[in-house]
Amino acid sequence: MTTEAQPAIEIPFYSPQGNEESLFEHAFNNQLPVLLKGPTGSGKTRFIAHMAARLNIPLHTVSCHDDLTASDLVGRYLIGDGQTIWNDGPLTRAVRGGGICYLDEVVEARKDTTVVIHPLTDDRRILPIDRTGETLHAPDNFMLVVSYNPGYQSMMKGLKPSTRQRFISMSFNYLKADQEQAVVEKETGVDALMAKKLVSMANALRQLKDHDLEEGASTRLLVYTARLINSGFDPVEACLAGLIEPLSDEEDVVSALMEVVYASFGR
Amino acid sequence: MEEHVGQLWDRLITSVSDRSYKQATVTLSDVSKPLGIFFRALGGDGGLRIVESAATQHYAKRNWKHRVAGTGKYVELSWQDEDTLHLPKQINVFPDPDLNKDLYYWLAAINAQCLENPSARERGLQGWFTYSQELTQQVIQRFPGLQSRYNRLVTAYLPLRHIDENFNEQELAQEEAVAQALQEPGSIEQLPTSGHAPKSVILWPHPNPPEVIDLSSKKKQQYDEDENNESVSSKPKKNKKQNKRRNAERVDMPDGKSGFFAYRFDTIFGLSEFVNVDRLTDEDDDEDQDSADKNADDMDFLSVARDGQSKGGKVKFDLDLPADSEDEVIFESDVMLPEWDYKKQILQPDYCSVVNYVHNTGEKGELPERLRRTAKRLRQQLEALTTKRVWHRHQSEGSELDLDAYINYVGERFSGHKVEQPDLYQQLRSSERDLSCLLLADFSLSTDTWLSNEARIIDVIRDSLFLFSESLRNTGDQFSIYGFSSRNRGHIRFNTLKTFQESYNGTVRSRIQAIKPGFYTRMGAAIRYASDKLEAQDTQQRLLLILTDGKPNDLDRYEGRYGVEDTRRAIHEARAKGLQTFCITIDDQGGEYLPHIFGNNGFTVIRKPEHLPKKLPILYANLTTNPA
Repeated sequence: MTTEAQPAIEIPFYSPQGNEESLFEHAFNNQLPVLLKGPTGSGKTRFIAHMAARLNIPLHTVSCHDDLTASDLVGRYLIGDGQTIWNDGPLTRAVRGGGICYLDEVVEARKDTTVVIHPLTDDRRILPIDRTGETLHAPDNFMLVVSYNPGYQSMMKGLKPSTRQRFISMSFNYLKADQEQAVVEKETGVDALMAKKLVSMANALRQLKDHDLEEGASTRLLVYTARLINSGFDPVEACLAGLIEPLSDEEDVVSALMEVVYASFGR
Repeated sequence: MEEHVGQLWDRLITSVSDRSYKQATVTLSDVSKPLGIFFRALGGDGGLRIVESAATQHYAKRNWKHRVAGTGKYVELSWQDEDTLHLPKQINVFPDPDLNKDLYYWLAAINAQCLENPSARERGLQGWFTYSQELTQQVIQRFPGLQSRYNRLVTAYLPLRHIDENFNEQELAQEEAVAQALQEPGSIEQLPTSGHAPKSVILWPHPNPPEVIDLSSKKKQQYDEDENNESVSSKPKKNKKQNKRRNAERVDMPDGKSGFFAYRFDTIFGLSEFVNVDRLTDEDDDEDQDSADKNADDMDFLSVARDGQSKGGKVKFDLDLPADSEDEVIFESDVMLPEWDYKKQILQPDYCSVVNYVHNTGEKGELPERLRRTAKRLRQQLEALTTKRVWHRHQSEGSELDLDAYINYVGERFSGHKVEQPDLYQQLRSSERDLSCLLLADFSLSTDTWLSNEARIIDVIRDSLFLFSESLRNTGDQFSIYGFSSRNRGHIRFNTLKTFQESYNGTVRSRIQAIKPGFYTRMGAAIRYASDKLEAQDTQQRLLLILTDGKPNDLDRYEGRYGVEDTRRAIHEARAKGLQTFCITIDDQGGEYLPHIFGNNGFTVIRKPEHLPKKLPILYANLTTNPA
């Protein structure tokens, strides 16, 4: 659930879509919280990893889920050997030590968690901890980043306007074809022709969003598929496993999508 | 006897001339769903419907067998116009069904490629020849995997284009050029001329697709009005006999004064010309229909005239105009809303005007006796469904000890903190719902249709609204109910049955009791107005439920693709506001346009309308329950 803050060794590869890097730096310098929105696998998490390494600050990532409570973020008492120890949660750790606290898919978390992050998003920048009676003031190099996927919302979930309006927002989308092709090549080592085929196929599948599919094929899926192919797996089978099956469970849709694969790879 | 011999001869000669492989037939209906997805994935326009193409006349030279049999004059080819993609009804040119299927996919691919189809008539044969080769090259360049499939098709197809002994030199040269162009697209620039068009090329789009009938705008308005009335009045009697599409032109309707009365006995060729014989326009009689169908089969070309007058439907329509009732209280009028014009790709501001009114009869309505038992059962069912029980922690009292809370408590006490009220228990309780739902029902005139001897669609909708409200009254969800109908863009009636603020009581019941159908379905404006209402609700989830019986349509150009695109736009706008939308329809023909408007998972079709009242609350429960 939580990945520990790691010292940045090398900067993860990231291919910018626009001005997001400079916007993020400005937001960081001015202590503004940031909201990233965009479809699955469009590079949100990679972007944060890249920026944390570039700014040379630790990154605390929390993947939010249904049962994530406020105390999972803030911390709790643990009991051991006849004593009780207060254990900081990832948010508290980031506030104490500085760095980026990244709440991935924040809509998934339970409602009471938003109450905890609200005081950190305005100019007070504080984290009150009821249990220990502390009120922590966030240092200048603390930054709160949350992400969510507007397309992928279950009927019962959405981000409240009162929460949305506390963040600088950046929108992510899939890369342009030639840029995405470069990313696939760089990430997986497949040749340019194969990368081009895969990207043009992914773009064909993305046209089906909202009509036949809930979501288009993500760059991440494309990279996975390319890795399968690069390690010697049959390209058509790799596409079925890596691109088509993850998109739909309906048999006739899968077979129609396979026709798109055949249109790129032949049969 | 004579007739019998004739039939035998006909069967013999058509089977000799017919060079198709019946046993390998692949029909469009078999493949239309995957084909549609394939077409859209390759860049085809998502708004297009796929329909069976009309057999169109082709001016190629026919061989003697075809001429004797009177066949081969028509071919089914593929083309697209602004709201449809036409594909052959069935393909059986190859002995192998897989090849026939491959041909369908190839046609979808090549049609997806011709996005900006220049008017085919302007291109002429020469243009068609080069353009088709270009398209083939482009498709294969974009999707190199199609190369092998194309090669297989061409290899199988070329021998089928056998050369007749009566071809002259020019015709042979032409045929050779086509074969060459098929084998190596882009290799031949000039199509040699001959007296005829070359034989149809099934792999290429139609050389001269039938023109879309363009009516002058003023007349069109009038026509639409008539057509709508017709469609309303004739909706119940669906005519499924007509499964062949035919090529048609429009001509002026004889006015009964200047028409020339004639009857040509001498030749049956006369049938195919439009002779301005003025007969009385009759309502369709089944017998007449049959003979008309037969005649239509024999015709080369149908001439269709617009009748200046309409049928009984028109009268009915006028009678159905409800006079403004004294009981109607207008909440809001002249609310101006925009409308999306897909052709121009612009949102036309302040284009529609909405009137929001409430119809108070002054009575306190009761739930109809026949619905009571169902209502009671649904209420119980829904209580169980909508309340998802979860453990609530840190409670001051509860059925079990909360270990987590206890550890915290002990820890805090050990570390010297004073805890005033240790909440150490957990309790199984229903989780809190924070949801509002707006139900928007279609009250257009088409809901006046009788489903059975007892009930019309509107009655089913009325029962649905009753049971919906009954089921929801105990769940604590906030809900409101509205109905809509429209007559042109200036008059969209928004009938308030229950607002979010009102509680469900006798007044609301009497309003539901009093609903009646009227006018048309300008869905986009109604959705926009409803989303504004729903957006004002301060709950975490906001659900817009749309209940309808058919496509968006109205008197003016709001029909077909225009209406569909505007509604789609309105749905997208609502989603952008953070609303969830879901459509419940009883239109079983809706498979074509519903996914385009509401998305793949944004709608459901109730096949049996009489089940709607019971299904609606259950559907609501499923929609709003968090998947575990």
